[in-house]
Amino acid sequence: MNGIHVTALSKNYQLGKTVVHALRDVSLELESGSFACIAGPSGSGKTTLLNLIGLVDEPTSGSIRIGEQDVRALGEAARTRYRSRHLGFIFQSFNLLPVLTVFENVRLPLLLHRELSAREKQERVEELVEAVGLADHARHKPFELSGGQRQRVAIARALVTHPKLVLADEPTANLDTETGTEVLDLMQRIHRQQRTSFLFSTHDPRIMERAGRIIRLRDGRVEAA
Amino acid sequence: MERLGLCLRNLGRHGWRTRIIVFIAFFGAFLTFVFENLVEDIAVKQSDMFARGTAGHFRIVHRDVETRNSFGYYYCEPADMLQPGQIESLKAYLAAQPEVSGCEERIVFFGVLYGAQDEEHGFAAMAMDLERFDRNFTDLFYARGRPVTRGQPDVCAASWYDYEENKTVAVGSSYVMLLPSPDGGYVDRLVTVQGGIDFKSLPRENLGFGGLYFDLEAFRSMAGYSRASATEVIGFLKDARSEKAVLARLRGFLAEQHPDLQVVSWRYYAPIFGEIVVGFSVALRFVEAVLLAICILLVVKLTSFAVLERYGEIGTMRAIGFGRADIVFQFALEGFLAITAGVAAGFAAGAALIAVLHRTGIANSLTFFQYVIGRGFYPSFHPPKILRAAAVFLAVAVLAPLFPALAGGRLPIVRALERR
Repeated sequence: MNGIHVTALSKNYQLGKTVVHALRDVSLELESGSFACIAGPSGSGKTTLLNLIGLVDEPTSGSIRIGEQDVRALGEAARTRYRSRHLGFIFQSFNLLPVLTVFENVRLPLLLHRELSAREKQERVEELVEAVGLADHARHKPFELSGGQRQRVAIARALVTHPKLVLADEPTANLDTETGTEVLDLMQRIHRQQRTSFLFSTHDPRIMERAGRIIRLRDGRVEAA
Repeated sequence: MERLGLCLRNLGRHGWRTRIIVFIAFFGAFLTFVFENLVEDIAVKQSDMFARGTAGHFRIVHRDVETRNSFGYYYCEPADMLQPGQIESLKAYLAAQPEVSGCEERIVFFGVLYGAQDEEHGFAAMAMDLERFDRNFTDLFYARGRPVTRGQPDVCAASWYDYEENKTVAVGSSYVMLLPSPDGGYVDRLVTVQGGIDFKSLPRENLGFGGLYFDLEAFRSMAGYSRASATEVIGFLKDARSEKAVLARLRGFLAEQHPDLQVVSWRYYAPIFGEIVVGFSVALRFVEAVLLAICILLVVKLTSFAVLERYGEIGTMRAIGFGRADIVFQFALEGFLAITAGVAAGFAAGAALIAVLHRTGIANSLTFFQYVIGRGFYPSFHPPKILRAAAVFLAVAVLAPLFPALAGGRLPIVRALERR
């Protein structure tokens, strides 16, 4: 991936008769292999920007290019395929499937990767579960884990497809300071080892300090990048 | 297999909801299975058997004989009886028809007993030994009678009570009986049983079941008919569905060879049995349709709840790369599995019940229905009916969860992720 190029990106929501401008004319560039943070207060447009870059939402105007691919030009099926092949997601609320074990949650995205053999899938998952320090909890269900452990499962799930870019929406917001730091350490370690690009949002100054680059948003506009 | 495992776990997670769907499918499938095999058996087979047993699938009688709604007992002038030459010709023709399994001439009671002036011809009445009724209609007695006072309902009732209480008719005993009159009404007769004629069972391959006929030659001899005349020739079909084709051909033959004769379907002389068949079928379809509608509505509703509860999960799966079709497949498969499990259990329970009833039979202690259908039923399996019911439930299992599943698949990812 040769970076992310966002040009004049806007997103409006219609709430009844009111138009909410979630993002206004946002332009930015993010190099491949970066560990970047979108910072800003609540309602500044962090999640909206991540959703648009993650192809889970469509902008009102503007363009997004990931590498050489103009992702706005992709159709629904191609966007879905792009997400499964090139993007990883980490959510604030972990978003693990409650009926699956740690191992199965991590393995879930690989259901779509039919080109991989069962053995390859097994090895990948085992490696990642080990890497996030949950080998002893591989057969546990999410409700049997702490918040930090759940987020580590989510990180492993985001990485299991070997994505080019991992998008994390306030990954430490639901965790205490110590656990949040541990999770960020893990993300940073994986970033260094695998050169995977990370783009995460936060409004916590201590988390921002860890980022290689900070993109500040306010009222849907880039304040500083 | 992984998808299947995920579905099964989700079904376990929606415990009470899954159990309701399984129970609904079980209940619907069980009742449908039993209806299709038991009620269908009673309604269609028994009605058809009685109609055929009374006078075959069709009867050939003189054109002047009116048989509509006569239940096999019609009025026939002695002059309208079939003559030996006609009987032989008809039997030879019917024997050559591949769809016809058998035929024979008969003398029908009651109507033939009276002349135009209400005079008795030959013999006056018939009675049956009800005690031995279920032994293939073993004995038939004939009797001479004399008129009793008309219009005394108690007399008629007394005859019925007499049957109810004694359940036997012996030679030399007298009974009051209600008999048809040539003017279209009925007359009360005090009859005295004077003799008996043995019935014998027809071979199973002829009627399709243990049926009846009487020893015609012995009867003619006892009643004083020296000529081999009869009131009708009746025919049995190997398959009742060939009735229309055979009767059309037969009508052509009669028009050419015996223009004074007509062929009549059992549906004409005993229409109520055809109506019973239709009535049961309609009632059956209605109950099944209601069950299916309830089943479909509940499955749709419960699957919709599952979709609603799992909005966040749908959003997550869509975000990490699952397509709309994957989501639809997921929920549709869950619904399909729950319904299929219920249907399979329902069919198994229904099959077990039918198998038990097939062995033990269902007792019928109602006298009137004993006369119509015997003392018990032995329901059996009807593979075409089972297959049809299975096909309907398969369609329900596929289609019912599809609507909410499609709604889940169409959900915008951001909106789904917002709902946790």
